[in-house]
Amino acid sequence: MKKSSIIGIIIIAIAIGVIISTYADSSTYGTFTEAKETQDELHVVGKLDKSKELIYNPKKDANYFAFYMTDNNGKECKVVFNGTKPQDFERSEQIVLTGKMVNDEFHASKILMKCPSKYKKDQVEVQEVTTASVQY
Amino acid sequence: MDIKFEGEHLLPGNLGQFFIILSFGTALLSAISYYFATVKDLQDNSWRNIGRIATRLNGISVIGIGACLFYIIYNHLFEYHYAWAHSSRSLPTYYIISSFWEGQEGSFWLWMFWQSVLANILVWRAKTWENSVLAIVMLSQVFLASMLLGVEIVGTRIGSSPFILLRDAIQGPIFSRPDYLTLIPDGNGLNPLLQNYWMVIHPPTLFLGFASMVVPFAYALGGLWEKRYKEWTSAALPWALFAVMILGTGIIMGSFWAYEALNFGGFWAWDPVENASIIPWLTLIAAVHVIIAYRHSGHSYFTATFLTLISFVLVLYASFLTRSGVLGETSVHSFTDLGMFGHLISYILGFLLLSVIFLVIRWKEMPISQKDEETYSREFWLFIGALVLALSCLQIIAFTSVPVFNAAFGTKIAPPPDVIAHYNKWQVPFAVVVAFVSGFAQFLKYKNTDYKKFFSTVIASLIVAALVTAGFVYLTKVYSNLMYIVLTFAAVFSIICNGRILLDSLKGKWKLAGSSVAHIGFAMLLVGALVAAATNDVISINNTGVGYGEEFAKENNPRENIMLYIDEPVKMDEYSVTYLGDSVVGPNTFYKVNYKILEGNKVKEEFNLYPNAQQNAKMRSIVASPDTRHYLLHDIYTHVSSVPLQEEQEGHEHEHEGDHDHEEEGYDAPVAHKVSVGDTVNYKNGYIVVKGVNRNATIEKIPLASGDIAVGMELEVINKSKKYTVTPLYLIKSGNVFDFAKTVDQEGLKLRFSKIDPAKNKLELTVYQKPAAEKKWIVMKAIKFPYINLFWGGTIIMVIGFLLSIFRRNKEVKTA
Repeated sequence: MKKSSIIGIIIIAIAIGVIISTYADSSTYGTFTEAKETQDELHVVGKLDKSKELIYNPKKDANYFAFYMTDNNGKECKVVFNGTKPQDFERSEQIVLTGKMVNDEFHASKILMKCPSKYKKDQVEVQEVTTASVQY
Repeated sequence: MDIKFEGEHLLPGNLGQFFIILSFGTALLSAISYYFATVKDLQDNSWRNIGRIATRLNGISVIGIGACLFYIIYNHLFEYHYAWAHSSRSLPTYYIISSFWEGQEGSFWLWMFWQSVLANILVWRAKTWENSVLAIVMLSQVFLASMLLGVEIVGTRIGSSPFILLRDAIQGPIFSRPDYLTLIPDGNGLNPLLQNYWMVIHPPTLFLGFASMVVPFAYALGGLWEKRYKEWTSAALPWALFAVMILGTGIIMGSFWAYEALNFGGFWAWDPVENASIIPWLTLIAAVHVIIAYRHSGHSYFTATFLTLISFVLVLYASFLTRSGVLGETSVHSFTDLGMFGHLISYILGFLLLSVIFLVIRWKEMPISQKDEETYSREFWLFIGALVLALSCLQIIAFTSVPVFNAAFGTKIAPPPDVIAHYNKWQVPFAVVVAFVSGFAQFLKYKNTDYKKFFSTVIASLIVAALVTAGFVYLTKVYSNLMYIVLTFAAVFSIICNGRILLDSLKGKWKLAGSSVAHIGFAMLLVGALVAAATNDVISINNTGVGYGEEFAKENNPRENIMLYIDEPVKMDEYSVTYLGDSVVGPNTFYKVNYKILEGNKVKEEFNLYPNAQQNAKMRSIVASPDTRHYLLHDIYTHVSSVPLQEEQEGHEHEHEGDHDHEEEGYDAPVAHKVSVGDTVNYKNGYIVVKGVNRNATIEKIPLASGDIAVGMELEVINKSKKYTVTPLYLIKSGNVFDFAKTVDQEGLKLRFSKIDPAKNKLELTVYQKPAAEKKWIVMKAIKFPYINLFWGGTIIMVIGFLLSIFRRNKEVKTA
């Protein structure tokens, strides 16, 4: 066999390996219910429950942040994150968590949020200038 | 109904739009003229001359677009959407340049600008290649110009113009008012993360890199088109090296910006946008190597052509990834969709098809050698090295394209939990192979080599490399992972091999210096990246905090943020760290953090860092940027993770009704004092002196009738050296009693002239005080990056190597 054919076969084999590994390593988007059934880390997509309190008190512990999230099936769960509260967290529209369930809490190792960025949204902030009225 | 709007400046926009149309037209005319100049074998140069004029006009109109856009942003003409969306009045002039390319349209303009500069250089320098190369470059310019058109053709909008008016871009009831502009006092402003000096120079460099990739592409395609199969390689080589050098510099600048201004704690995050810029860089590097192999041996012609062509197609693919919105939430800094999805795809497909068509119709004529390369030849290993680079690139493409795959087939594949580990699994072995090949290939000759001599040199180098690696690995503590040791070994081997060549070249074979310098730089970059990424160490470990369950601590990292109260030193690693206060400059608050190394009671070393954060009281959030202490062998990188939010400043004066004594929010219980002129009243931080009484006080906007009484109590508030003068008022109007309190915000005071007691001839002064301020604090994270200077230094050396190679290959073009 010619050397170039051998090289060609090796290259194709590695290329296939690359592509298979890309999809083999990938995880899935799941729900809290699915997270309870598995020991693996997975992604959970959902929304922040804004009616419940965000627990973050840097004076007590700068690395403890907890909140409640509702997943896409409507199930709510307490989420604990080992770090500081991400910037702009309250304004997030959607959250993608990476982590796993420990007892009844979801321990997130990564939080990714989608925010209505001030710098992207086309919403005119109108400032109405009126004459000052004095109240007494 | 036509509304006559007031205060709009329509001239710069109309002029700019005219230049856009002109640039599109001239690009098209130029491409067509050069096309005919190439295919028609005419004696006169009429087609070429039209092409030249059109190319020049195109350059002028592109500059015209830029000038109009700059005028609009510089003069804060917020009737234009671009100025409103990307700038604000408070923006310093030098960041107006960054706001220029915050939006897609501006960055397209930047690309167009560089492409037209390159086209004009080619008109001047390309000589016999002018016709075919410029036909292709100007075709690319046609596509770019069409991205800015923003005109509607049969119901669909083609491109997005930077000169669109705000009232056309956004629907809103206020735009039916003729004076709507008076309601828009300021623009949205520039993303604070982009307000960094690296953001002024990183995009132009990166886009010059992207733009210059079209030149080798055009030479390769022109070579196939004009059947000048061999010639194009020598003409394209300096351009390919130039593109690789500039794009590489641009990528590293972006990496440096991420390190200096973003707080994700690193210089490379495998973010899709970063990947998008490195993909074409890797393929063009591979192309450069096989072009050289072909020129010296006649082998690998197809690979050289293919890699050169695909590199530019991948530039277009990269811009599709970042600009079409397809990446969605997988990337932090991609652009949002501007409705150019199909348009971008047509750009990619257009150039992909051109490449495929020419490769197919010229397939039979291409000088593809039928013979195998010798194993002990340089061209063989150049080829192998290029293939490995292409594979490494393929892995990045496959992974980055997952969102594209999801969008195309409706699947929902999520990235792996640990993205970096996935990349390392593949990229580290690829890097090892590339480093080894770039080392020993230096001792091989073209065609064939005496392998006995070759092995003796390589084995000697391997032994030296093994010794150096052992020492280095011990020093940098990367022995935790076998792959890290192997990569270090490979990189050290490459440095030693190339170092030997460099020493030889100093003795006379100086023209080989370029490649060995570039290889040394690349190997240093690998080692620097490896050590800094593998052994960076969060030193701000919290050892005091209250726990939240041992369960959690067991499986998670130690807590990586520490709390600092003002003036209270905290022990962190070898440092004693103290938060000393903050200062406000523009929108940024700088937190002064003092680092000390103590030895006994003696201060061995001391420095201050100023990590900053932009507070946004309205959104109750911060945007933090790090500050870094640079040493020769490591960096101390620090950023704040959380700070107390400042309350929004209230703009209006505190005037309030005075007939009931309810407690004011935020103040301690008030204390009433009976005073006369000359009396002194104490408060927490100082004292208040009653200087006098003004019996003829007037109150703004309240006319006084006869019988009404307005009295002012003139007070001086004194706190150490600071002195404030205020005059609270007492008013009887139509028999009703009012009083107007005054506040001294700096002292947390509110003072009311609450009563007049004529019987005792006394006045009543009621003092409200804010409770003592909370102790200031910050939460901070600090990371130690060891040997990061190898990474930056390697980059600089690599760029110098490219520069030397450009000189060498450019000389070859002239002498050829």
